[in-house]
Amino acid sequence: MAKIKLDIFRFDEATDTIPHRDKVTVDLPETTTVLDALEYAKAEVDGSISFRRSCRSAICGSCSMSIGGVTSLACKTSCGSAMEEDGSVKIDPMPNFQPMKDLVVHMDPFWDKYARLKPYLQPNDADSAHPTERRVSPDDMKKLVDVANCIMCATCYSLCPVVSVDPAFAGPAAIAYAYRFIEDVRDGQRKERIAQISEDYLWLCAHCYACSYCPKHVDPNDRIIDVKRAAITDRVMMNERGPRHALVVAKTIKQTGMLAETEVIQGTVGRFNIRGLLKVAPLGARMALKGKLPPPFLKPVPKIDEIRTIFDALEAPVR
Amino acid sequence: MSSTLLPEERALDAHVRTNSSKSKRYGFFPGCVAKESCKELFNSTMLLADKLGIELVELTAASCCGASVLNDTNRDVARVLNARTYAQAEALGLDDVITICSTCTGHMRAANKELRESEERMAQANAILGKFGANDKGSVTVRHLLWWLIDDIGLDTLRSMVVRPLNGLKVAPFYGCHIIRPESVNGWESARHPHSLEDVIVALGGEAVDYAGKTRCCGFHVQLEKENIAASMVGQNMRMAKDNGAEAVITPCPLCHLALDGYQADAAARWGRTDLPVFHLPQLVAYALGVPAEKLGLKKHLIDPRDVMVSRDLIN
Repeated sequence: MAKIKLDIFRFDEATDTIPHRDKVTVDLPETTTVLDALEYAKAEVDGSISFRRSCRSAICGSCSMSIGGVTSLACKTSCGSAMEEDGSVKIDPMPNFQPMKDLVVHMDPFWDKYARLKPYLQPNDADSAHPTERRVSPDDMKKLVDVANCIMCATCYSLCPVVSVDPAFAGPAAIAYAYRFIEDVRDGQRKERIAQISEDYLWLCAHCYACSYCPKHVDPNDRIIDVKRAAITDRVMMNERGPRHALVVAKTIKQTGMLAETEVIQGTVGRFNIRGLLKVAPLGARMALKGKLPPPFLKPVPKIDEIRTIFDALEAPVR
Repeated sequence: MSSTLLPEERALDAHVRTNSSKSKRYGFFPGCVAKESCKELFNSTMLLADKLGIELVELTAASCCGASVLNDTNRDVARVLNARTYAQAEALGLDDVITICSTCTGHMRAANKELRESEERMAQANAILGKFGANDKGSVTVRHLLWWLIDDIGLDTLRSMVVRPLNGLKVAPFYGCHIIRPESVNGWESARHPHSLEDVIVALGGEAVDYAGKTRCCGFHVQLEKENIAASMVGQNMRMAKDNGAEAVITPCPLCHLALDGYQADAAARWGRTDLPVFHLPQLVAYALGVPAEKLGLKKHLIDPRDVMVSRDLIN
């Protein structure tokens, strides 16, 4: 047994203007899950502590909260693993959400992002017109299984740094769920779905892999890349900056072996997009003054033919 | 046609890039940014290597690691490009490859993992490399200079080599996503609670500043997509660092450096002025080990770090 100091964020939107913290000490083994420790504290110490929970076994996705500064499922995280040197376990509501009461948050923005996806199968023909069940080969299904494991706990959404500064961004879970329908052979709305998620800022993903902390190993980070690739393969909204950027990066690597910074900036913003180029000009000018501008042209690295052979062998698209 | 460097190229390499009298040799993959807009990173790394008595043999014919962006266009191309880089390192007898960029580290390691875990992928890569006589045997390890400093030099030795301690300079670590995440690819330390940079800061005589932004994203990859969002990600992180007492930032990633150094001014409207100078990891280590400050390219930073160094009596 150990003294575990639960350091809990307390706030009630109905009565409080600012939050405070309560420290509740419980005598439990360090292997106790944070959820069990919270249940114990609620039952034995303070019945007003509020948090969501249901299944207690990482299936329902209700008990996600910030534990020791990182969003995790309380039912899947031991107190010992999140304990600070003084024996305290810091518990907060998920970031990127408005707190409602203690560890309970308003989930609406997260559900809204799902709703926009029309998260149900939309085949080309009506079920009544379809003579048999809609069959999927094991290989086609394999692609969808990981994403189907998503329990919508919002861990990824709460850790997403882009959501934290731009709530319009769809967020990792919704993009992964879009992938689930985009790659479903039974669905008839592939292009429309890619266009929809592109409009919800697919290309604003910052490649930070914070969503690799997914407790169910859905790994939205990889699915986001898959959806971007689908957008390029199906040539959806190709004049937007995201696809232009990806393709001009590929082009400069094929041409020079290097990611040529100057050409990538021009190619992404648009060589004739004077207004766009003027917007990046002040930073460019500051860098120029410090002698920090990347070279305008790069000499190809030695044996550049080998690099071009690789691109050609894989039929990798370039702009 | 062989993928290995020709003997004369190798001689040229050794002549231009390295000091061949050094005892330990490593493959060196500087990455694109250290060769383009952050040359001060490349130069200070070479000066640090000199100081530590190691030979860094630059893989001059290597390609870009893919920078996380190449995956958006094709599933395989970044992996095979990296396999080519490994084949070059192996042919030179340099299985131990050092990087100085978080993004290079993460993506080269990811490619390496994919190749080693799947015979099919390795065969695919070698079938293409075979067209120009190259072969990846899968023996290369990729490590960031930060990990190498701690693993091979050691914090105690590093501390004993310090001739110009940082006089308690309050330095905020900024890791850069791709050196810690995904944990399955990097895994050198905990992605959620890393402390290698803090350990190095303390070994150099500085004080490490703790703040929630240290493992967050610098926004580099969305700069060209939505500049104000990228700037805001910088501002948010630098605000946290500044509020926790930081006087400067250190990063093992030149992409983070470009974002944090370049965009604090643009983020001021939303997050207030922060003006934290952002050191490249080898700059600060080299300084503490006695490399003259004027050789480290500090005046190339948009936020000049020399003011804070003067205030701590580190330079005149």
